[in-house]
Amino acid sequence: MDKEFDVVANYKTLLVESPEISMPVAAIESLVELIKHSKATTMSEFMLSIKDASQRLKSSVRNSISLSAGCDLFLRFVTRNSHDVADFETWKATLISRGQSFVEKADACRYKIAELGVPFIRDGSTVLIHAHSRVVSLLLQKAAADHKRFKVFVTESSQTQGGIRSAKVLRAAGIPTTIILDAAVGYVIDKVDMVLVGAEGVVENGGLINQIGSYQMAIVAKAANKPFYAVAESYKFVRLFPLNQYDLPTYNADTLSFQELNTDHDAKSLEDGTPSSASQTALHLKTAEDQTSQGSNPLVDYTPPNYITLLFTDLGVLTPSGVSDELIKLYL
Amino acid sequence: MSLNKNELVDDLVAKLKRRQLVGSSAVSQATLKLLVVVISKNNWSTANQLLTLVKSVGQKLIQANPTELAVGNIIRRVLHVIREEYREAENDKTNTEFHHHAAPLTTSSSMYNLLGESGAAQEEQVQFSHSLRSNIIQEIRDIKIELENIHENIKNQAPLHIHSNEIIMTIGRSKTVEEFLKMAASKRKFQVLVAETAPSYHGQEMALELSKAGIETTVIPDSAVFAVMSRVNKVILGTHAVLANGGLVAISGSHMMAAAAKHHSIPVVVCTGLYKLSPLYPYDEDSFNVTMNPDSVLGFEEGDLIEKVTVTNPYYDYVSPDFVNLFITNQGGHPPSYLYRLIVENYDPDDQTFDL
Repeated sequence: MDKEFDVVANYKTLLVESPEISMPVAAIESLVELIKHSKATTMSEFMLSIKDASQRLKSSVRNSISLSAGCDLFLRFVTRNSHDVADFETWKATLISRGQSFVEKADACRYKIAELGVPFIRDGSTVLIHAHSRVVSLLLQKAAADHKRFKVFVTESSQTQGGIRSAKVLRAAGIPTTIILDAAVGYVIDKVDMVLVGAEGVVENGGLINQIGSYQMAIVAKAANKPFYAVAESYKFVRLFPLNQYDLPTYNADTLSFQELNTDHDAKSLEDGTPSSASQTALHLKTAEDQTSQGSNPLVDYTPPNYITLLFTDLGVLTPSGVSDELIKLYL
Repeated sequence: MSLNKNELVDDLVAKLKRRQLVGSSAVSQATLKLLVVVISKNNWSTANQLLTLVKSVGQKLIQANPTELAVGNIIRRVLHVIREEYREAENDKTNTEFHHHAAPLTTSSSMYNLLGESGAAQEEQVQFSHSLRSNIIQEIRDIKIELENIHENIKNQAPLHIHSNEIIMTIGRSKTVEEFLKMAASKRKFQVLVAETAPSYHGQEMALELSKAGIETTVIPDSAVFAVMSRVNKVILGTHAVLANGGLVAISGSHMMAAAAKHHSIPVVVCTGLYKLSPLYPYDEDSFNVTMNPDSVLGFEEGDLIEKVTVTNPYYDYVSPDFVNLFITNQGGHPPSYLYRLIVENYDPDDQTFDL
């Protein structure tokens, strides 16, 4: 049916072509592309193909949280509108145009968030941020453009080196930025006025799924009585209700597993160039033995809502409990 | 614009500036009264014109005294009413024309809007019918009635929260709390401890009023709040304003009392009318504070000393939402985490600032 169109490939090229695009937006864009190529003639065939495509998208990447937020939002929109279809072709055309206008609006979301968040950054304050988040960078850039004087500490985030990227962007905007070790969060927290993190996904209870390290930052911030703000576009709200770290869809048996002490087999497989555990980490481990003794490290963690002071979203500044309200509005 | 209306606006602006008119209740009632005149006496034909008109008046009033947050709240309530009435009229129109409604559920702020149509731009240009004008005035009258009945609605909940032989602590003088306690006293017997609230000594006035109503009242110095707290069952506070995150702008001393209560795990209850609920956030903890005349702290008789020290006399405290357990409003009891919901219901997100 859509042999000639590969959603996953389309999604991946989108991400490569425009680095500014975020995962859920790219997901919706490729689903729209799928509709354009769809030759389905009946409603159920069409719905099936979309559901199948979003499933394939989700399983194509290791960390599917923000991607599935985009897929689910679009699917919800399609099903909600599927009841009063008069003409199948015109309906498809509407879906395509709505999808495309969403992609345009997605950018505007970030600007709106930046506008809402800027007043929270006070003159002379110091902000601690984590890794790289486009929307956090934009907020800080906007604050700098509004002539706020503030300094930024950014964690290196050794897994992706996102902190280094952030520092580059922020320094270019004229903001004094210092990169700190991930392990130095506790050390700097007393010098910090607020913590600002982005999000991969915002879950139903108002908690946060983000790059590994956010949770410990939140705990440190709470202990030091500093506000911890999350910044997220509303299309990153996902219908998950994780109860702890190991309740996330990204968790599997490999995550932080303990290797057998007898490492002969592992060492051999490393020489072949195929590490036994899918260790996507950038841990600077010297020897092969060190590397294989390392289980697969998690990419994201979950920050429970009681650690989050406020969420800056394009729907306004919300308390964590406001998130579930928005999700209910959409899925009721 | 008629001259008459401008005079009235200037009059209120002057009163706010000179602090002849202070206190959330008085200020909000005056604002509402002014808005009724503004809306009924002026010529406007589209919703946009009306919104601009109300906003321009709002801007002037807020600039006159930015710490009276209730002014902004009332303006936003009225703006919200105008938008709602307008939307309702629009919906009626489209329904009679048999238009297909894709998603009637959508509100102005929803994730769904990301994928929905963007029809908001051409909104608010359509002519207002006469019924709409009277509808809006009627809605504003309803707000006025709500303001008048606020104490009634809050105090009726008192027997639910105050039990026999309890010891209640409070600070400052709040009409809302006073009525609340008096109402409870008509059903139950309990004790009230009032911190004297130096340097304004509003607490002493409060104690006098309560004891006149036959409540067993004790005045304690502010410094004794922590010491006595372990014997208290409940702290009941009044407030000047409630911010969007559930934080309070309340008389200075409130933060200390709330912190002492938290230390002893004593529940803190805040009695407030909904008109005090502001959609603003405490960007800066001092941004909503005022410093008063230091004379009451250190008078000019102490000339020798005054030369050598700086005296400040802040009037308000910011109390963070972690310290509050319950808000009792004219709509019932709410935890601080629920306030965002009340804000969504009462104000429009576009009205955070009055930029024209």
